[in-house]
Amino acid sequence: MSGVNLEGITKAYGGFQVVHGIDLEVQEKEFVVLVGPSGCGKSTTLRMIAGLEEISGGSLKIDDRVVNRIAPKDRDVAMVFQNYALYPHLNVEDNIGFGLRIRKESKEKIASSVEEVAGILGLTDYLKRRPADLSGGQRQRVAMGRAIVRQPKVFLFDEPLSNLDAKLRTQMRAEIKRLHKRLGVTSIYVTHDQVEAMTLADRIVVMHDGRIEQVGTPMELFQYPANTFVAEFLGSPPMNMVEATVGASDSGPIAIVGSAQVPLRRLPELQNCVGEKIIIGIRPEFAVPQPTGTKGAVPITVDLIETLGSEALLHATLQDKPFVIRTETMTSSNRLENVGAFTVPPEMIRVFDAESGRALLGQGKAQ
Amino acid sequence: MANMNLYSRGDKLFVITNMVLIGLFALSTLYPFIYITSLSMSAGFEARAGNVILTPVGFTLEAYSKVLSEPQFWISYKNTFIYTIFGTLMSLILIIPGAYALSRPQLYGRRFWNLMVAFTMWFHAGLIPFFLNMRDLGLLDSYFGIIIGFAVSGFNIILLRNFFEGIPQSFEEAARMDGANEFQVLWRVYVPLSKPAIATVALFCIVSRWNGFFWAMVLLQDEEKIPLQVYLRKVIAELSDDEEFATSLLNASYSVETVTASIIVCSIIPIVLIYPFLQKYFSKGILLGGVKE
Amino acid sequence: MSSDFDTAGSPATETLVVNAKESVRERRAAQIQRVGDHLKREWQLYIMLLPMVVWLIVFLYKPMYGLQIAFKDYSIFKGVANSPWIGFEHFQTLFSNDQFLRAVKNTLIISAYGLLFGFPVPILLALMFNEVLSQKFKKTTQTIVYLPHFISSVIIAGIVITAFSPSAGIVNTILGWFGVDSVYFLTRPEWFRPIFIGTGIWQEAGFQSIVYLAAIAGVSPTLYESAVVDGASRWQMMWKITLPSILPTIIIMLIIRIGNILEVSFEMIILLYQPATYSTADVVNTFIYRQGLQGGQYDFAAAAGLFNAVVAFILVMTANAISKRFSRTSLW
Ligand SMILES: Nc1ncnc2c1ncn2[C@@H]1O[C@H](COP(=O)(O)OP(=O)(O)OP(=O)(O)O)[C@@H](O)[C@H]1O
Ligand SMILES: [Mg+2]
Repeated sequence: MSGVNLEGITKAYGGFQVVHGIDLEVQEKEFVVLVGPSGCGKSTTLRMIAGLEEISGGSLKIDDRVVNRIAPKDRDVAMVFQNYALYPHLNVEDNIGFGLRIRKESKEKIASSVEEVAGILGLTDYLKRRPADLSGGQRQRVAMGRAIVRQPKVFLFDEPLSNLDAKLRTQMRAEIKRLHKRLGVTSIYVTHDQVEAMTLADRIVVMHDGRIEQVGTPMELFQYPANTFVAEFLGSPPMNMVEATVGASDSGPIAIVGSAQVPLRRLPELQNCVGEKIIIGIRPEFAVPQPTGTKGAVPITVDLIETLGSEALLHATLQDKPFVIRTETMTSSNRLENVGAFTVPPEMIRVFDAESGRALLGQGKAQ
Repeated sequence: MANMNLYSRGDKLFVITNMVLIGLFALSTLYPFIYITSLSMSAGFEARAGNVILTPVGFTLEAYSKVLSEPQFWISYKNTFIYTIFGTLMSLILIIPGAYALSRPQLYGRRFWNLMVAFTMWFHAGLIPFFLNMRDLGLLDSYFGIIIGFAVSGFNIILLRNFFEGIPQSFEEAARMDGANEFQVLWRVYVPLSKPAIATVALFCIVSRWNGFFWAMVLLQDEEKIPLQVYLRKVIAELSDDEEFATSLLNASYSVETVTASIIVCSIIPIVLIYPFLQKYFSKGILLGGVKE
Repeated sequence: MSSDFDTAGSPATETLVVNAKESVRERRAAQIQRVGDHLKREWQLYIMLLPMVVWLIVFLYKPMYGLQIAFKDYSIFKGVANSPWIGFEHFQTLFSNDQFLRAVKNTLIISAYGLLFGFPVPILLALMFNEVLSQKFKKTTQTIVYLPHFISSVIIAGIVITAFSPSAGIVNTILGWFGVDSVYFLTRPEWFRPIFIGTGIWQEAGFQSIVYLAAIAGVSPTLYESAVVDGASRWQMMWKITLPSILPTIIIMLIIRIGNILEVSFEMIILLYQPATYSTADVVNTFIYRQGLQGGQYDFAAAAGLFNAVVAFILVMTANAISKRFSRTSLW
């Protein structure tokens, strides 16, 4: 059972608390991705798991063993750093074998392990090169090799791809995914990049200001964000948030947006609260553009049309706030100029309490 | 930039004058060394009569054979090597780990320790208390006293600490994750990465050891232990004081001047041999050390 | 803590006090635990630090403790701690001692002249090196002018003594060509300072130019390019662009120099002076050396040293503080 278990983990620098009680259970072989805005404590959390930061409070278990006060080298975890931290004075072979040599493994064992890892990562031809003579992608691979070679229980990654250009990033992302499938090692991965998060993660952890906002599979988070923060954080362009008032109609609850009425699902939370403020979240993908004056649609003013090939982004204004619609160009390009309103299927609208920002989910999807 | 044709007449004049002036300054720097070398290879009476200007007059190596046949010369030469080699090693052994520890952000009391180092650069107890302390420690007239007593300098610590601080912390962290303890991190990662800075510190030590004079003169009475510089000083003082001896040499093939000059040449040679390294690392060193504190 | 409080206080305050106490104790315990954990993790760092710290204490801080003999009637047999206190007696003697006052005066004069004549030379050299077009010429001349810095003061003094010797020295030989009688320079008080300061410049100016060259290297090339476009001559660029750009460095170096004004290279003075030139050559440190190390008046000499060290410390700290303000805007 090589899981990682965080219970009420906190971190304070001096008197300043930056991580406020994180609870998280990472299953064996699971790939968990931590995302969140800059400075929210992702790296700090990861580094506490690695043993590079002292843990201020709570308990950390790896493999059901409390490791709060165990040195990094005895935790059996490996980490890939953002800047790779490859030893510049050692060649690829020695970089990968460094940990084994420190642990006084036999020469033959080191050689064969390094060779195997180099084979997996396609580094066999570069073993004698120094890091300075490698490309960004190759360096990244060496950094991974250094982690893999020790066969640790847990892999930790701190933004390992952020130093690569967009194309390489996509490629390495796929490679990491493949490696994880092949080796099946529990992994915790920190990133800024939500595409990375969505594609790599078994589960995503969204953090904010040193707290966990939501944990779930990528689809859960995308479809049922637990609050406005997660809703706005995931998805690009982000979800449109529109202030509205609850109303009632014959066919069920509605959201009143200015003069327009948007039908909502029959959520139990919406009963008996007519007139209360809510926020409705509409993903740009789910808003259907309509010509000006369409009956039952919400009127908007389109300011700008960005055509991205097969798709287009309509930048519009609703209630003095930007409202973005993503639509296919192939079927609708001829009428893009006429757009002056939109409609949304009720099941695609997320409803949030205006005060707390909490989602009104209806079926208890929240974590 | 280097195309002279692009320059106005005034600029050309300026550039040429500038080159001439620099050339002159360089020559005036070089001249004393040429003069001393020529003197050391000149006949004693010619030197005494002031006839040596640029090249050796009455070429002879008698002065060298006189110097090299002096046992005390070899004793002090050997001593200088001992002080230089072991003194430098001692410095590195003390400074490298110390500076590394000072550079680690996780070190408790880091400000205090750094202040403790910096303060020694601002305030010295002075000659007398230092001397009495060496005496109380029983380090007068001792090889060990010279080697240990001058092993650490605040400047060198700060130079190396600054360099270590410039190495990304993630190297330490990566090595720690790889299972290295702090000594292994230092020895296998930070020392190899700091070769230029360590070379600089080592060269600072080597030069100051090789040239060290004052404290060796004060602390060492035993002729068996004195280094070259102290010996050289003695020779210069004795020879120039001893008019009788000087006049007795009036017609000899060597003189006070040529003997002095040849000892000088002998003691400069090792410095000249490592000079290419000195030039390379010293200029970096003074800039490195000056960055902070 | 106080039992008064416990009995007199209402139950509410009592629990409050107990809570406060407990939380203090808890925090204490947590703190001790943290330090313990830290030491367990990082003890090796402290092992690395230890030898250096011990060295500093034994060889630099212990002598500071030994400075107390400046206020004592020091006897070798009684040692530093057991010699009797005599207050400021040594200082009173010191300030009525003509030789000491002369040494203070000489220190300041030599430093001031050294600053006046020695400070601009490396700056000029750096400016001039910067105008050399041929890299080869520049490298060669730099190699030459840095060299004397690495030569020991004994050798430099040996060269000076030889060159200025009355019978054989090159200086007198050249003077002889012009019909000037041979001068025994090193016995003449009026010649000591020029020779000493000139030697210092000759030995160090080249090497000191490195700092300014580094500063010049940091000047943005676009400044020169736009000046060329505006038709400026190289002479103008040197004064209007290069010099102002390195002004912060110059100011900082000047402040540092002034802060170290008491630091005259006394080793060189010991090598060059003689009783005949004491009147212009004797500085505080050579005075201390003669009185203390040669004359055995340890306590009296230590008092002179303490005076010197305290004044130097104040100067250096002041200079540091001022230069810190400047260095915020400069490279160095
Ligand atoms: N050594 C430190 N001392 C004080 N505060 C620190 C220290 N290290 C980090 N912090 C603070 O802790 C908070 C969390 O930092 P952390 O590096 O974990 O953020 P992050 O989520 O990884 O951000 P990024 O995405 O920018 O890497 C930040 O507010 C940061 O300022
Ligand atoms: Mg981070």
